[in-house]
Amino acid sequence: MHRIRDPIYLDHAATTPVRPEVARVMARCLADDFGNPSSGHRWGRRARARLEDARATVADALGAEPATVFFTRGGTESDNLAVLGSVRGAGPRVGGTARGAHVVTSAVEHPAVSAAAAKAVEEGARHTVIGFVEGVFDLEALRVALEQGADVVSCMWVNNETGLRLPIPEIAAECRRYGAPLHSDAVQAVGKIPLSLAEVPLDMVTVTGHKIYGPKGTGALVVRTPELIRPLHFGGGQEGGLRPGTEDVAGALGLAEAVRLATREESEESRRLAELRDVVEARVMERIDGVRVNAGGLERAPHILSLAVPRVDPDTLLAALDADGIAASGGSACASGSMGPSPSLAALYPGDASASLRLSFGRLNDESQAERIVASVADAVTRIRELRG
Amino acid sequence: MMNGSPARPRRILVAMSGGVDSSVAAAMLVDAGHDVVGATMKTFCYSDDDAHADRKTCCGLDGIRDARRVADRLGIAHYVFDVEREFTRDVIDDFVEEYGQGRTPNPCVRCNSNTKFRDLFRRGRVLGCDGVASGHYVRLDRSRGEPCLLRGMDRSKDQSYFLWGLPADLLELLHFPLGELTKPEVRERARALGLVTAEKPESQEICFVPTGNYRDFLEKRLLPTHPAFSPGAIVDPAGRILGRHDGYCRFTVGQRKGLGGGLPERHYVLEIRPGTRQVVVGPGHLLEVRGVLVGDLNWLSGPPSPGTRLAVQIRYRSPVIPCTVVACDDDSLELRFEEPARAVTPGQSSVFFAGDRVLGGGRIRRVAGQPGSPGTAGH
Repeated sequence: MHRIRDPIYLDHAATTPVRPEVARVMARCLADDFGNPSSGHRWGRRARARLEDARATVADALGAEPATVFFTRGGTESDNLAVLGSVRGAGPRVGGTARGAHVVTSAVEHPAVSAAAAKAVEEGARHTVIGFVEGVFDLEALRVALEQGADVVSCMWVNNETGLRLPIPEIAAECRRYGAPLHSDAVQAVGKIPLSLAEVPLDMVTVTGHKIYGPKGTGALVVRTPELIRPLHFGGGQEGGLRPGTEDVAGALGLAEAVRLATREESEESRRLAELRDVVEARVMERIDGVRVNAGGLERAPHILSLAVPRVDPDTLLAALDADGIAASGGSACASGSMGPSPSLAALYPGDASASLRLSFGRLNDESQAERIVASVADAVTRIRELRG
Repeated sequence: MMNGSPARPRRILVAMSGGVDSSVAAAMLVDAGHDVVGATMKTFCYSDDDAHADRKTCCGLDGIRDARRVADRLGIAHYVFDVEREFTRDVIDDFVEEYGQGRTPNPCVRCNSNTKFRDLFRRGRVLGCDGVASGHYVRLDRSRGEPCLLRGMDRSKDQSYFLWGLPADLLELLHFPLGELTKPEVRERARALGLVTAEKPESQEICFVPTGNYRDFLEKRLLPTHPAFSPGAIVDPAGRILGRHDGYCRFTVGQRKGLGGGLPERHYVLEIRPGTRQVVVGPGHLLEVRGVLVGDLNWLSGPPSPGTRLAVQIRYRSPVIPCTVVACDDDSLELRFEEPARAVTPGQSSVFFAGDRVLGGGRIRRVAGQPGSPGTAGH
């Protein structure tokens, strides 16, 4: 029988386990503070107080004002709300509904942003995509787009497939100069790089719980000027009307605790992850021919190592790694489980069809695993290449 | 059990289409104590096609989802392998080319011979597997040393016709758990296991043409100016024009429907001549032929010598025809039928049997053994 050694989880960019501290906070809330924050009685008041604690904690960790933090049900919701909500909100100013609104995004956005932009186009908006020149965000192209006026600009802080850091402070400065609202999906940035909205003032920021050892289905959108955006859901007016529906107080507390811990531990944890990544990266480069580090040589977050491996098909590589107990992912997973082409990698490396392997590190990893990881990847690549002939 | 499941536990990669048969095949291997890994091949991107509306077939995203649900239920790993490029090159392009040449291909044979099993073996080796299984209704007899491929016990489901092209050296590593079962038994097992695929309907159509409208499919793949879509003459065997047709790709040898009215008696398609775009029709008795020439051969046992008697099946689900080998070389095999047979269709598979045992097969090139009969002229 085939035996699997202790499995190693290398997919922290996909999701993470809930930390015990977070689970404790949530369990207490689920049992004791179950009230509906909209209720006037003491149970309602208690739940409301806990919800506002959570809001204050998130705001404090991100360097934002509590009144600008709106809880949502995850990263996708926050991104959709930022992009589509802005486009719909811009409608009256630009004449009509979304007609004439202008959305600007980078070419490496998560589908939660790019598909929302496509929806905006369906509703009549224009969409400009800003590309990269040799891996560097094209600020000049951004300026050209901003000169035409933009109703929302959306650029992720850290790319989920490669770990590439976008120059958010520079993008923010340009957007400010042209008066364009800037949104950034920061789900891969929180806890991985220094991030303070007090230092880099953005109009909107997406955060989520499950990438930082918090619960799935939790997130927030920081919105500086909520009156500029329209909600995507309709109901009882919770979260300032931006995200109606009875609040998930336990989820908000879990998210808040996760954000608090992630930002507090950021500098230490990111140094540890960068060291581990660098060891794995260096040894992989030694052992496997022709490998390229995606976004190598560029500013990267410490938790993602994306490798382009020529002469290997990605499905078999991931299956072989899984069979050997290594949980990784491809450029990005698509609905079928097989990989579709990755727009992010295409934007950074046009015309390159190499398989991409994403190893993403986190709290389940340490340096003692490095040799096993490298051996497993190298063996799988060698076997696949041999059988390919 | 003779062949379904190997005696000692192995690590086996099982092809799971998301249909009931391969689901049960996987379940039976798990039950027998093997270390089972499921694999679904993504062969074709349905989103490129309006035919996506048909949600019943098992090779599209629905199939992948169902296969994954079954694998989860069985507690086995499951991987999706994107073989779209290879499948297009080896199966779809050939299918289109064959129809363009006026022949009637078996794409499933082509896929089993060239794509599916070879690919699964290659990937299986990377995954540490020492066997590959599928839910085909065929058996492998390992009792006499070299494994022999046999028809499935359920004659109404027997799929040996589609597997003659298997590389002979792979037989040893193959497993067909369903070979001894009937379809109702397979469904019963699926129900008992609570598999989501238990009541899934059969997919009768070609997986990449789920609507069954292969003419639409061909029109998207061949240039509209291709002769297969151009009008031509319907002629009798003597060459007299009996009518017109609007593209020979609509016709298959042996077909009666769709010829249009006005023909004097019951007429059948006897031959398609792509060079002149003529469709030759005639009364049914002219379809009766005495022999066949088969090319693109593959032997699961050694090739036969002239004079050998065997049985040949010239289309799926048709009875075998007793015959004698007239000539056999590396390139082709000529067979003489003991009784006249109807409708030898170029492009279809000819599969050779000794009793239940599959000896090999090939693609029908043309009718043989009847000087002057339709199909021999001009070749």
